[in-house]
Amino acid sequence: MDELTREFLIESLEGLDRMERCLTDLEERPRDIELLAEIFRSVHTIKGTTGFLGFKRLEKLAHAGENLLGLLRDGKLAVDGPVVTGLLQLLDGLRSILRTIEAQGDEGDGQDAELIARMAELQVPARAPANQRVPAGAAAPQPRDLPAGSQPQTPAPAARVPEVADAPPPQPAADPPAAAPQNPPKGEAPSARPRAVSAAESSLRVDVTLLNRMMNLVGELVLTRNQVLQATAASPNLTMLSRRLDMVTADLREAVMKARMQPVSNIFSKMPRMVRDLAQSLGRRVRLQMEGQDTELDKSLLEAIKDPLIHAVRNAMDHGIELPEARQAAGKCPEGTLRLRAAHEGSHVIIEVGDDGAGISVEKVRQKAIERGLITAARAASLSERELLQLIFVPGFSTAAAITNVSGRGVGMDVVRTNVERIGGKVEIDSRMGQGTTLRLRIPLTLAIIPALIVRSVSQSFALPQGALSELVHIFPSQAATAIEWIEGAPLYRLRGRLLPLVFLDRLLIPGAQHKPVTERDNFIAVLDADGRRFGLVVDGLADPEEIVVKPLSAALKDIGIYSGATVLGNADLALILDPGAIAIKARVGMSAEEESAREAAAEQDAEAAKPVEYLLVEAAGRQAAVPLEDVLRIEQLPVSRLEYVGYRPVLNFDGQLLPVEDAGGVLDAVLHDPAARVVVVVCRAGHRQVGIAVSHVLDVAAGCAVSEAGSRQPTGGVTLLGNRVTGIVDLARVPPLTVGEALPAAWEPMAEALQ
Amino acid sequence: MNAREASFHRPEKAAAVEICCVRLERTLFGVPITHILEIVGSVRPQPVPLAPGFVGGLVHYRGDVLTTVSLRQLLGLPPRQGPQDLLVLESAGGCFGLLVDSVGEVLTVSSAAREPNPSTLDERSRALFAGAYKLQDSLLVMLDPERLDPMRLGATHAA
Repeated sequence: MDELTREFLIESLEGLDRMERCLTDLEERPRDIELLAEIFRSVHTIKGTTGFLGFKRLEKLAHAGENLLGLLRDGKLAVDGPVVTGLLQLLDGLRSILRTIEAQGDEGDGQDAELIARMAELQVPARAPANQRVPAGAAAPQPRDLPAGSQPQTPAPAARVPEVADAPPPQPAADPPAAAPQNPPKGEAPSARPRAVSAAESSLRVDVTLLNRMMNLVGELVLTRNQVLQATAASPNLTMLSRRLDMVTADLREAVMKARMQPVSNIFSKMPRMVRDLAQSLGRRVRLQMEGQDTELDKSLLEAIKDPLIHAVRNAMDHGIELPEARQAAGKCPEGTLRLRAAHEGSHVIIEVGDDGAGISVEKVRQKAIERGLITAARAASLSERELLQLIFVPGFSTAAAITNVSGRGVGMDVVRTNVERIGGKVEIDSRMGQGTTLRLRIPLTLAIIPALIVRSVSQSFALPQGALSELVHIFPSQAATAIEWIEGAPLYRLRGRLLPLVFLDRLLIPGAQHKPVTERDNFIAVLDADGRRFGLVVDGLADPEEIVVKPLSAALKDIGIYSGATVLGNADLALILDPGAIAIKARVGMSAEEESAREAAAEQDAEAAKPVEYLLVEAAGRQAAVPLEDVLRIEQLPVSRLEYVGYRPVLNFDGQLLPVEDAGGVLDAVLHDPAARVVVVVCRAGHRQVGIAVSHVLDVAAGCAVSEAGSRQPTGGVTLLGNRVTGIVDLARVPPLTVGEALPAAWEPMAEALQ
Repeated sequence: MNAREASFHRPEKAAAVEICCVRLERTLFGVPITHILEIVGSVRPQPVPLAPGFVGGLVHYRGDVLTTVSLRQLLGLPPRQGPQDLLVLESAGGCFGLLVDSVGEVLTVSSAAREPNPSTLDERSRALFAGAYKLQDSLLVMLDPERLDPMRLGATHAA
């Protein structure tokens, strides 16, 4: 294929993507001349270039569409449902021919006569309503300049009529009619043109492989810089120069990473069309809301989340949003709402797919999981709603076709999770009966650079992606004999009362060799959670966490299976990147849910009345308080100088994200005069936001027991029994949101209450 | 096979060929310099646990992580402690490294002095070598970079 054709294909396909977006908008704003002009331009450009390149089939089809679009643009014909449907068919027709050209170099020999006839048919202004339309062949006049060879021979098949009739009526409620008066009825098309030209002039198409190469070279530069910095540390006259090198390198790296970023609108823009088509075929009425479309993500990641996202949207439409009648019966608006939202959160991008449909019945999930043998009844009774919901991601659960009748979404949710986890992301689900479901994908900003913990084993460094790491446990040689327990050669560790299967990295890497017994060395257990498999990886040593640049491995080494790549560390050493999921499979670690059920079946006899909740025990100003462990995201230790103040509320700035810090214990006040002091901040989730709790120490993790006030059977809120001591629970929800310039009510201190 | 291969087997007329010499124990091996991207002295490759036997480890080369083939391990010789020399070779499948004890000089030999692999050579060696040049006082065994590519070795290794 020559350069010209390729160029033409890229441009035309982009034009069609734009047209698709415009068409779905057009349905809501049928009188928007700008939109029509944009659509007309896309088709016109294809027609113009195609004649020049000699693609006759494409030319004829584009020509037929252009005639129709001309009438619409000049206001001689009004836009209605059938017209939009027709134009969408035209779009699909054009696109399929372009794809054929892309694949085989010529247009193929498909038949477009029917579609061309449909275009002609739609040009008749006084069309009968679609469902009682006279056969098209008789009614449609021949457009004057239609080439003789492509005369419509067959009337449009009647089968298509109902489909057209099903098109949802234009929704005046969705968009206030303000758009119409703003646009004068006569063609103002050229007004949009200068903007388009300037966009084309200021941007450039760059081959992705070139970008990848640039990224590689920048990685190399970063490394060289690190070495230069080390080498020049001793010579003062080079310090300024190396500082400058340091800065320029950092900026360059950021710029190259930015060049690989694309807005999520590249995927989101496909959704209106899909939602429209799905709504029609499923008989739903759905309004799509999209937010944060300019959020940017690395190109390769964007590709990777496309399928999971489409899957999630389908699920929401199929199982989430109910039929209009059912919605009305439930007292909801017959039109469902599907929300797509993208936003930055620290070094991640959050993509949410939310609906206001029926929600998932936790009860039915519980029954289903028991029925399918994924979990024992006793175990299920002890799980929280949140934990139960996670069960829909377990493979055995979601492949069951029957779940679609039960409630909620379900088909292939494990696939969504697997795909997202493969790129280092996470999936969470939130659902309220009768109010809807929100699926949240948490995606790292870039694949090329990931945070990793460097671990040591067999006298080598290995990189362990932080994404899968949940905690680290250090076992001293003296403790190892009792702390690590064995069942027939299988090592286990009791982590807060639950047995965690262990995998010794050295034994896995060099099987059969003599390894130092656990009692003669330090053992570090990295507790990993990969694809639902939970295990502890035992290594000999830990080094610092590092941001690593991922380099691919040659095929000969990929086949080993447990490495996902290699990287160059700051000290110029090479390290292999471990793949936690593959290690789990190689070491035959089972899925947690299966493990659980096997374990429960054996040991589940003593039914407990109250499920213990785990708490992080902290100390602030000499008193103890408890933070629900489920809400703890991470623990930061940082110099007190990192804290800034909004009004008189301390805040922390994490890459532009402000974290309000609650300091009821007066921990910060005590060390404020000492700039070298370090404070511990427990970062917690509080509803949809995050808050920090300043503490002096983190003491322990312990299971709490509910206590009840004498004379009442009700558990008392706000306190729990931790190791026989009544401890106050920090009420995270009561940490007031951060409003700039607010006057803080001094008495509003949930932490202070917990401390009493 | 390709044109280069053909020229190995049927030297039409005596052309001068430049060959980089590599010594391993007592044997002299040669690699045509047209396939060598770079020669890097004394590298310490990072071992890859569980890798196939011929893999000498990973080295960092111009921003990439290069998989290396250890000539010693490939020929079944005991591994050597300490730094080794690295030839960065180019093959159809991409770049890879060849680890050798030490790299010698570049010789210019006449293609007429080349003999095919002797039929008595064992199967494995025959698959790796591409004939030998008769030098004045010794033989120079030719290595074919295409056949040393770790991807290809990996495939035959598995088979």
